[in-house]
Amino acid sequence: MVETRSNIQTFYASTSQPLPIILDGDPGHDDAIAWVLARSRPELRILCVTSVCGNQTIEKTTYNAGRIMALLGMDVPLAMGLPKPLFRDPIIADTVHGKTGLDGPELPEPMKSPVACSAAELMAQCLKESDEPVVIVPTGPLTNVGALLLLYPELKSKIRHISLMGGGIARGNWTPAAEFNILVDPDAAKIVFESGIPITMAGLDVTERALVYPEDFERIRRVGNHVASVVAGWLEFFYHFHQSLGYPGAPVHDAVAVTALIRPEILTGEDLYVQVETKGVFCRGATVGDLNKVSGKPPNAYCLKDINRNAFVDLLVEAVTYYG
Amino acid sequence: MTDIKMKPSAEKRSIPLFIDCDTGVDDAMALLCAAKMKSFDLIGVAAVAGNVALDKTLPNTLNVLALAGRTDVPVYKGAYKPLVRPLVSAPHVHGLNGLGGVELDSSPRKEEPEPAWDALYNAAMEHEDLVLVAVGPLTNVAKAFIKYRELPKRLSKIVIMGGAAVGGNTTPCTEFNIVTDPEAADVVFNSGVPIVMCGLDVTLKAYLTGTELDELAKLGTPQAIFSYQSQQNALRYEMSKGLPGICLHDPAALFFAEDETMFTARKAGIRVETRGSITSGKTVTDLDSDKKMSYREHRVVLDINRDAFRERIFTLMRKYSET
Repeated sequence: MVETRSNIQTFYASTSQPLPIILDGDPGHDDAIAWVLARSRPELRILCVTSVCGNQTIEKTTYNAGRIMALLGMDVPLAMGLPKPLFRDPIIADTVHGKTGLDGPELPEPMKSPVACSAAELMAQCLKESDEPVVIVPTGPLTNVGALLLLYPELKSKIRHISLMGGGIARGNWTPAAEFNILVDPDAAKIVFESGIPITMAGLDVTERALVYPEDFERIRRVGNHVASVVAGWLEFFYHFHQSLGYPGAPVHDAVAVTALIRPEILTGEDLYVQVETKGVFCRGATVGDLNKVSGKPPNAYCLKDINRNAFVDLLVEAVTYYG
Repeated sequence: MTDIKMKPSAEKRSIPLFIDCDTGVDDAMALLCAAKMKSFDLIGVAAVAGNVALDKTLPNTLNVLALAGRTDVPVYKGAYKPLVRPLVSAPHVHGLNGLGGVELDSSPRKEEPEPAWDALYNAAMEHEDLVLVAVGPLTNVAKAFIKYRELPKRLSKIVIMGGAAVGGNTTPCTEFNIVTDPEAADVVFNSGVPIVMCGLDVTLKAYLTGTELDELAKLGTPQAIFSYQSQQNALRYEMSKGLPGICLHDPAALFFAEDETMFTARKAGIRVETRGSITSGKTVTDLDSDKKMSYREHRVVLDINRDAFRERIFTLMRKYSET
């Protein structure tokens, strides 16, 4: 089946089978909410979960991944990602996500340990075993996906799509030119964007519009189950940091990468040729989009631009409702 | 013309204006417009290598000013190449001679003996309220800042055409003037002088359609006919890139310097990437990022009232039929 980059809307037109996906993230509050959403959807079948170092150290994000999986009752393998970006030292975002990387509500302890193999190996194993091509949903730095593509180039054809949170065509956040996930491991991001695999990029252009307001936290809490109250607590913690920067709500960045797979009609975007800057004084980690078509290169990413905020909040409310 | 309200009751003193340019078809339009502005006293124009080489931009500058009837304006010779990079010019847009192939009569005036950077410095020392409009690569301005360290304190208003907060026209993220000499541009943005950046964010909206350019030609003056003819090649080029007409990048910067009311601008920090693998020449702004730069006194021009812009072009160009 030929899949152009922007026709992710047709993912489900052809099949009633759940779409196999791999969740790869650095939880992180918005990763956690993205996973709450993914786990709640019958259209998605989660094959495995992999952790990556980003928002916090690999030990902490892996532990958090285990705790989230216990909370959500996700019984799939979890593998620990690389301890640092491919060719660089880590950068963490403890100012945003706290000392644990997932500060806020109390969480259950992980039900089981991570598997012995690395994240890239577990991804490769899932890709090999899957009859259908798989969608990877990276919501942290692209270290593990970059490693997978370096180590197993022959498995590219088993990756149907990469729906990632990262980058920004018109803005950065961690530096004026770069978004955190891409800044942390620009070399891995370059490998991903040059891979030829269809990419949906949920960058800051859209994710800074995926705002959940304080009144929405209450709506989520009122759903009344345990997961709902935990998600409301995460949102409150996550909002606290953003409030100090003047945001009217919490931008739930990572959940947009999942939303693109299940509710593409509430998103708008544009096919662009995107390159990743790996060097520079100011631009390391910038995702450069060829908006004015000056490169002559064909697009390699569907870059999301806008979201129906109300529908997004409804989707999150619906997601927590799934948990009882 | 007889409307009494149009005449200022007390003669307002014109503000001294220095233009640095790489003439260039849209530079030529800016010069033709500046030559007729009452609010400005055009005290000097410097040429720099950019759209085409200096051996063309210098005579083009002299000859366009002569066409404008302004042989009273001194012209200075600037840098023949960017600070540390070779010159990559844009004859595919501006034509081999920089004026879309139109040959102008040679000006009777020659360039002044002092170089552009000395002339800019002298002008700033002489006129406290000097306005600098720089619409080419920023090599001359950077050289002035490098040579005269007290110059930033004397130059309080600089409007440039260059850069872009988002997008590019030469590479996906760079604009021609800045990518031609990124080091010079960073010297200027890092000089401590607040810069108004009239870049592609606004200048891609500051265009005349082909029809409007036809109307301009109908004014019938040599200046209007020159404007029409010199811009045909650039018009074809820009239309081929999907633009709605011919962008008058440089007049937009000049008009901002004259009257901000037709524009929207936002304060920002701006620096220029000089060492990227694909981003050298990108004007990095902190407009929408959480992380802000330490110096945030620059302004990024983002929007324009195109009707007012077009009217201003026509008003100024009509003045050539009044004499």
